[in-house]
Formats: sequence, C-alpha cells, structure tokens
Amino acid sequence: MIPAALEALKKAADAGDACWRRSERTTIAFESGRLKSAGVVEESGLNIRVLKDGKVGVAGTTATDAPPSDVVARALASAALGEPLAIEFPSSSKFSAVSTESKSATSASVGTLADIGRGLVERLSRPDAQINVVVEREVAELTIGNTAGGQGTYRATGVSVGADIARVSENDVLMIYDELTGVGLPTSEDLDFLVDSIKTRLELALKIVDPPSGSLPVVFSPMGLQAILLPLKEALSGKTLVQGISPLQGKTGEPVFAEGLSITDDPTLADRPASYPFDDEGVPARRLPLIDCGTPRGFVYDLETAARLGGSQRSTGHGHRGVFGKPHLGYSNLIVGTTPGPSRWSFGGGLLDGIRDGLLVDDLIGVGQGNVIGGAFSHPVALAYRIQNGKITGRVKDAAVAGNVYDLLKKLGAWGNDGRWVRTRWSPSLLLEGVSVAGR
Amino acid sequence: MRDLLDGALRASRADYTEIRVERTWATGVSFRGRRLETASASEDVGGCVRVLSKGHGWGVAAFTSLRQVPAMIERAQELSRAIVLDEPIRLADVTPQTAEALLDLDGDVRGISLAEKTRLIEAYNGEMLAVSGDITDTIANYHDEVTEYWFVNSEGTSLHELRPEVTLSGTAIARKNGTIEKSLESIGLRKGWNSVHMYADGFKKAGERASQLLRAPTVRGGNYPVILDPEMAGVFIHEAFGHLSEADFVYENPQAREMMTLGRRFGRKVLNVGDNGAAPGLRGTMPFDDEGVPTQDSVLIREGVLVGRLHSRETAARMGERPTGNARALSFRHPPIVRMTNTYIGNGEGTFEDLIKDVKLGVYACSAFGGQTMLESFSFTAAYGYMIRDGHVAELVKDVVLAGNLFQTLDRIERIAGDFQWNQIGGGCGKAGQAYLAVTEGAPHVRIEDALVGGDVA
Repeated sequence: MIPAALEALKKAADAGDACWRRSERTTIAFESGRLKSAGVVEESGLNIRVLKDGKVGVAGTTATDAPPSDVVARALASAALGEPLAIEFPSSSKFSAVSTESKSATSASVGTLADIGRGLVERLSRPDAQINVVVEREVAELTIGNTAGGQGTYRATGVSVGADIARVSENDVLMIYDELTGVGLPTSEDLDFLVDSIKTRLELALKIVDPPSGSLPVVFSPMGLQAILLPLKEALSGKTLVQGISPLQGKTGEPVFAEGLSITDDPTLADRPASYPFDDEGVPARRLPLIDCGTPRGFVYDLETAARLGGSQRSTGHGHRGVFGKPHLGYSNLIVGTTPGPSRWSFGGGLLDGIRDGLLVDDLIGVGQGNVIGGAFSHPVALAYRIQNGKITGRVKDAAVAGNVYDLLKKLGAWGNDGRWVRTRWSPSLLLEGVSVAGR
Repeated sequence: MRDLLDGALRASRADYTEIRVERTWATGVSFRGRRLETASASEDVGGCVRVLSKGHGWGVAAFTSLRQVPAMIERAQELSRAIVLDEPIRLADVTPQTAEALLDLDGDVRGISLAEKTRLIEAYNGEMLAVSGDITDTIANYHDEVTEYWFVNSEGTSLHELRPEVTLSGTAIARKNGTIEKSLESIGLRKGWNSVHMYADGFKKAGERASQLLRAPTVRGGNYPVILDPEMAGVFIHEAFGHLSEADFVYENPQAREMMTLGRRFGRKVLNVGDNGAAPGLRGTMPFDDEGVPTQDSVLIREGVLVGRLHSRETAARMGERPTGNARALSFRHPPIVRMTNTYIGNGEGTFEDLIKDVKLGVYACSAFGGQTMLESFSFTAAYGYMIRDGHVAELVKDVVLAGNLFQTLDRIERIAGDFQWNQIGGGCGKAGQAYLAVTEGAPHVRIEDALVGGDVA
C-alpha cells in the first residue's frame, strides 16, 4: 500500500508522507462475572499528507478497495485551502530497535484470554458486588513512508486486562477499577497486583467516614495523580507553545518546581504498549527529559509544531496519527517521580505514617473539565479515603479537593514506594501539603 | 449490497445472525485563531457481524474490508462457540422490519466543496474574533457526514438508510492580565447544508460572553436555590439519571435492580422524564435502532415515579419487559449496547420569570461545559451563570460547578417552567469505549430547591 501511495504522491504533490495501519483487536468481556461475548475488530486504513505549493493537506480512508490516488486527490483539495507550512519530512530509514511485540500476545488463543478473565472473576467474586472483566489483545502493524526517503515498519502488540467491581447498597454506589497494560500477557505477579489493588481499595472503602476539612496533607495515588499532571502535560506541549498560552514558556532552565519533581517522556522503553522505534511521522524515538529536578528542560513537538515555531525546534518524535485527520502531538510513556521497574502493591506507598489528619485521593470527578492550563483545579472526589493518625479509617464521600498545581508543586511532601504503570504513565503516589479539602 | 448480505446470512449456521454495514463520507474543517488547522475529507467503510447460538455467547466480528463478509461470519461463529453458557442469552421477540428509510439530506453536503464549507466556518470564527481585543484565541470546527447504512438479520429484518449530520462548534478564548476565560457555541443537527447558515449570532454571543467573563467574579461557593437553563437541565438529566435507566446497568445486578425498582419515587409530582428516539429531526433520532427495533417515546419518570427503562432486545428479554429501540452502536467497529437517544425533562408550567420571582438569593446556571457522574455522585460545570437577587437576574458569575448526590438533587427539583426546548447542540455521549454517540437532550428551565455550587470550595 505504501509504495503505491508514494508513487501517487510523487506524481501529484511536491512532497508528502503516508501512514498505513493494520490492526486486529480481540476482546473478551465478562459482564457481571459471566463471559457472554467475544469480539474481534480487523481494521486497516491509510492516512496521507501532501505538501503542495508550500501548503499542507491531509486525507484518510478505510475504503482500501479504492486506489491510493483517490486519497491523494482528496489530500490535494485539502492542501489547496491550507496555510503555508514549511514541514520537513525526516529521511531516516534506520532506527534503533525498540521491543514492541510479544509472542505471548500474538500466540494467545481466545481460550487463553478467557482463562485470564475467568481467573480474575473467581478471585474477585464476593456476594455483595458485581464484577466486570475485560481482556483485550491487539496486534498491529504500522508502516510509514515519505517522499524524502524516510521509511519504516514495525509490529506492536498490546494486552490490557481491566477489572471493575461495583457494590450497590441503599443509595451508595461504590466502584473500584484497575487495569494492567503490557505488550504481552500479564504474569501471575501482575495478576496478584491487580487483585490486591482492587481488594484492598474495596475493603477499606466499605466503611464510610466523615470527610476532613481545611488545608491538609493529601496523598494522590498513582491513579489520583491525573488532576495534578494534566496541567503540566498541557504546559509541556509544543502545541500550547505555538498558541502562546503555556505557563512554562520561557521558563526552561529556571527552577519552577520543587527539586523532587522530574518528568521524562520515553518512547524507547522496552515492552510498553506506548513505545515505538519511530513516531507516526517517521521521526526516530528518543528519551526526552521534560522537567529535571524541578527545572523545565524541554517540550514535546511533532513536525507541525516544530515547523510553526520557525525552525528553532525540531520534532522530538511525538507525532501521533490515526487513519482520519492530520497527525497530532502526544506523549508516549510519561515517567513521573521515580524510575520504572517492577510494581509492588502498597496502598499509600508508605506515605501515611506521620499524617495526623488528611486524605488519600484515588479518583476525582471532572478532571479535564474547566480551565486546565492555568493549573487551578477543584474536583469532587470519586474515590477517596480519610487518613487519621497514619492509618486509613474509611472512605470519604461528598468531599472536594482544590488547589493550584503551580503552587502545590513548589513544595513536594514525598514520593511513595508504590511506583506503577497507569496505562502509559509511570508514577508512585505523591504527598502534597496544604491541599484545600472541603466536606459538605 | 443486499445480495452480498443475504448470501452471507444464508451461509451462517448460527441461530441468530445480524450484519450491519456502513459507508460514511465525512468532511471536517477546523480553525484555531485565524489559522486554518485542517480541512479534510475522509471515507470510512466497514461492517459488523454478530451471531448467537443456543448455549453459547455472542460472537462479534467487525471489519473494514467488505470482501471479508463471509470470512467474518465464520469468525464470529468461532468466537461464539468458544463461549459456553449455562443460562442462555435470549432476545425479546420483535416483528421483522423491512424499510428503505432514506432521510431527507436537506442539501447533500457531499455536493458542496471543501472551500465553501471552509468559508462558512471561517465567517463564524470571524464573528468571535471581531468581538474585541480580549479574544486572543478561538477554535471553530465544522463537521458533516452522510452515512449509508444497511442492516439485515436472520429473522427477516432488512433496512437501508441514509442519514445526514452536521455539527458546528466555536470556542472563544478571552485573555486579560493573566486571566483566561472561554465560552462555547455548539450546534448539532441531523440535517444538511441548507440548515447551517443562520448561526452567526450564536458565535458572536460566545465571543461577547468570553470577554464579559473576564470581568465576572467567581461565584461564591455554597448552597443555593439553583435554576438550570434548558441546556444544563438537559445535560443533568442525561448524565445523572439517564445512564441509570439504561437496563444494562441493572439487568444482572440485583442491588442496582433494587435501587431502580419500577414504582420507586425519584422526585416530586412536577418531574417527568423520558427518552424519545422517534422525535423528528434530532441527532438521537433514528427510525430503527441497531438491532432493527423501531424507536419510540419511552417514559422513564411519570409524576416523580420511576415507570420505565431503556432496553436492548437482550436486556428486555432478561427483565421480562419490552424492547424500546435503544440498542445503538457508535459505528460498525462496535456491537450495539443500551444507549439514550433524545432524553428530556417534560414540560411544566409558567415562565422563567415565574420560577425566579420568589428567589431571594440564588444561582442561574447556564449552558454546560461538561459533566461527569460516578453513578450517584455528579459534577457539572456550567459555562457561565448569573446570581439571582430578589427575584431578578443579577450579575454574571463564573466557575459555576454543581456537585451533589443524584437522588437528593432529583428530589429537590421543585418547579419546572413551561418553556421546553430541544438543545440542538453537538458533542455526544460516551459509554463503554463508544464515544461520542450523537444524542440530544431537551428540557425547560428547572428550579432546584437547594444545591451545592462550588466556586471557591475552601
């Protein structure tokens, strides 16, 4: 598909690139503990970008029975309206190897995937709750090519195992969720981790206690950390730099945050589903420190944001691309706080000792709504626990936490010893002092 | 296409087989500030086979290559056979349907050039930018599509439909002295090119509001009587209550089933709630759902009492109720699941002024930025609000976030005005990995006796 697309590109456009993606995703779903359906999605599609008279256009299709020249024609119509943009396509065709594929995933039968789910249902079952488990395996192949000679192809696998448990009593609905992600099937240690995580968090949530109130120490679990990290992810993106709205613009090299804060994006990590040898625009992957010991060091760019900043920057290899629409900027594996390694289940990450009264936040409602980029957040808790005298005393309902990320991260309490992957993000728990907690 | 699908059905050895095929032509244009980000056209083609055999589970195979239909029937059967069930899945009986339901395309968007569509949204974007120097950035999006749809099943249902859709949206971002505010305009229609030309004023208003919000104070957190405008009320009823009436939430969960027992009182006499997939011309409107069941107006709450819920054929059979035409799939990539269509709070009496005239101090929450529910807990962000003082709408306020418990809040809806409207806005609903499905909400102005408004929470 790619050679035909490049041929059509060379004929009709000044330059261009093409991305061909084929994937097969198998899903095994246990609903309320019962396996009732199994599904597969086989998909392939072509995304084409052209450069014509200095303008960029894109088009995509899953109608793969049509010739690539049709898609090129549509991309040209798109370019005719586009703004001038000096995109330079990368000419790399040799890339460092990154392990993105596991035989355990490709060779697993539907029966094997179902057994993983069944095992979890058995271990998590309890009479007062419903269990849903979804096991998903994806095998994908991505090929890119461009008119500058850049080309590459790789295969990737991904397995995710998610389990949620819902307990309804009177007017109280409690939902606990966790998910394992990897390129291959989970090990028995991984599955133990998932079971421990869900069981511990459920058992500690059965007792409902009054929420504390005031400016308090709050432990954000690796899952609860989302609200804190989202403003930073926006601020470190080349896209917000182009728009001129990043609060970190012009702050590289200055100590903005507490020394304990380091964030790195690393697409070259072995055996993670978000890893790649090159991004979806053919730019070689590399490890990129974003914040180093409290000091911003760099931003992520794709080809377009780099071009829009007038050649002062190059793509860092963070272009992502679907079948439809134009490539966009995104992170790969975001590594926060500590170095990735094996995970050990520990609730609170050893940060609870010494907290006389505070909160452990595991999930918040409405993260991403509102004015994220400014750093201010205010969210009701979806799942949070009260900490009293170094111990979790129960679940807190009807409470909200608020603060400003840029103020809170000037002083870190501590990182926990419970580093883990939450999908594409690695982090331990984080203790922050002086978070505003309001009960009702 | 029919012949291809009928042939494939005949080849299936499963007890029940259905095939859906979709071909969607779409264009999208998006501006960021004065800059055109993209203007592009795409074509998405694919299908989904779903089979069921006695004693076995669902086998589902979705694909983008239509040549694969026979192979995919085989694949779905294999997957189905891999699942052994003690308690069989049953489907509620429905009358087989045959229809050529070619909706009026209202000016076929496929005949309009990309350049013309770009000019339209550029003009709307210009309305926002022209408001004042406060508007430092905008986002303006145009999206249209036409979907040709086929559905056949082994019970004799055979449908062929053509569906148009257009959405327009604008975000105006105002900035002054380090303060950033935004305001939205959004239009979503199951219509075509003929219906997109009268929205300049809405985009201009979005620009004006963003600029005004720069000078507006943050609402003071606390408990107030709250009046929801039809948009907020619609989003509230969809998110906070609608999802609980989807039968797949309760049908295999005894505790949830108890919580949602028909006959339970959820609100006062003024409260009526329903979901109407057959309402003419709305985004959630379809003649049939994705199991080939005709859509209908389903009453969920009548005079405060729970009287119904939304079903697929499977959940209806399981609960001994009737299917309601609410099994919908986002696209051929997904199997149908229980979804809302056009969800509404029924009309009450009187005007907006009647609703506020005896409110000494309250909050008027307008136009939703977004909402999230964790079943009984919810949080909704209004795009803007006003204080109500001594029975009148007073100053503009920002950061109006409503949070609370669903059951308490439903029970505190004390008055509903008689100014019902459907909110023809874009966006959509996400559930179980299928986002965003076109839905509509409708409501009149609604008064909640007492609700928590978070601004400054601490």
